[in-house]
Amino acid sequence: MKFLIKTIVMTTALCFCLPSAALPQHDNANYATHDMHDHEDHDREEANSSHAANSGHGASDGPVLTRTEDIESALADGGEPIVADVLGVVCDFCALAMNKIFSKREEVAAIYVDLDTKALNLVLVPGASMSNQTITDLAVQAGYRIAEVRRGDAALGGAS
Amino acid sequence: MTAVRTALLLTLGCLISMVTLARPVSYAGGWTVIEESDRQSSSALVHYTPSPTMSLGFKTEVNRDSDFALYSVHPTFLAKRWFGTDYQGNLYFHGGIGVASGINDNPQSDQMAIYGGVMADWETRSLFVGYRNRYLEAGHHANQFMQVFRAGFAPYEGDSGDLHTWMILEIDHRTSDPDSVTATPLVRFFKGPLLVEAGYNLTVNQPLFNFTYRF
Repeated sequence: MKFLIKTIVMTTALCFCLPSAALPQHDNANYATHDMHDHEDHDREEANSSHAANSGHGASDGPVLTRTEDIESALADGGEPIVADVLGVVCDFCALAMNKIFSKREEVAAIYVDLDTKALNLVLVPGASMSNQTITDLAVQAGYRIAEVRRGDAALGGAS
Repeated sequence: MTAVRTALLLTLGCLISMVTLARPVSYAGGWTVIEESDRQSSSALVHYTPSPTMSLGFKTEVNRDSDFALYSVHPTFLAKRWFGTDYQGNLYFHGGIGVASGINDNPQSDQMAIYGGVMADWETRSLFVGYRNRYLEAGHHANQFMQVFRAGFAPYEGDSGDLHTWMILEIDHRTSDPDSVTATPLVRFFKGPLLVEAGYNLTVNQPLFNFTYRF
């Protein structure tokens, strides 16, 4: 029992230490990828992905836009295609969360979260824009983290 | 000793409700309904997630073994989420404070109840391990500790909107029960906002049924 109490007390103390570390918070308003993670606990794969994105290298190496009916329709209307690689998206609840958060935005004409490619696929309303930082912040609201964002031809699989 | 323990648990409950603090935390603005029914109790929890690191809900739990019902405010805190390209890991603290009332002709008076515990999970699209525990102090109604370990796999990887199927083995340990350690194989079906689990406790021959709906 003493051990139990000790455990509970210790976990309570941790409550105070960890709140700010639970999910990434960002101040960088210009670019989403490099500063989005804390450098203490990320894995090598994640780091490589982020730094590659920031430096612009390998930007067209990731998955390209998944073309659902809605996405095709929005593309035909002239909206900008965006593909964002999402870390930690492993189940339908993850996809649901991203859908709920992004679908509320008036800039978004079509959305599809592809669990196979672990990518958030967006097509914006014609003439609308959405910064990488906004995409990152919205992903945080959904509980996830963006590793890389591709737009335009890079999102469609062409040259970046 | 009891006084110290109660004080510590009270403090924990207050801290949890202040700061905080089980898939217990949804997206910001999301609502979740969770029903759980196992060998000892049945419960229903409705929670709202104001931020992606915490949810706050109301929980009703009927403990069939000890004939009491628990009505509590139930905060959950996401302490840490580990992200990877192919995995997600989570550490949560959960707790609650409320009232325990006798049911089924249980004549004992209402008691303040408080509980707290830890949940952790790690999953990919085809593998899952999870652990949760809870210590409950409900005066003369109950003084319980339980912990549950789960491991499972998905026989196939479904995409968004597909029916996802998981095969899971649950091992639970409840210090207040004569059969303190039991095993429950279960199957989980998951599609869109709905998750359903059905299993059967092989040790004490009791069914298990859980569902979660998120909106």
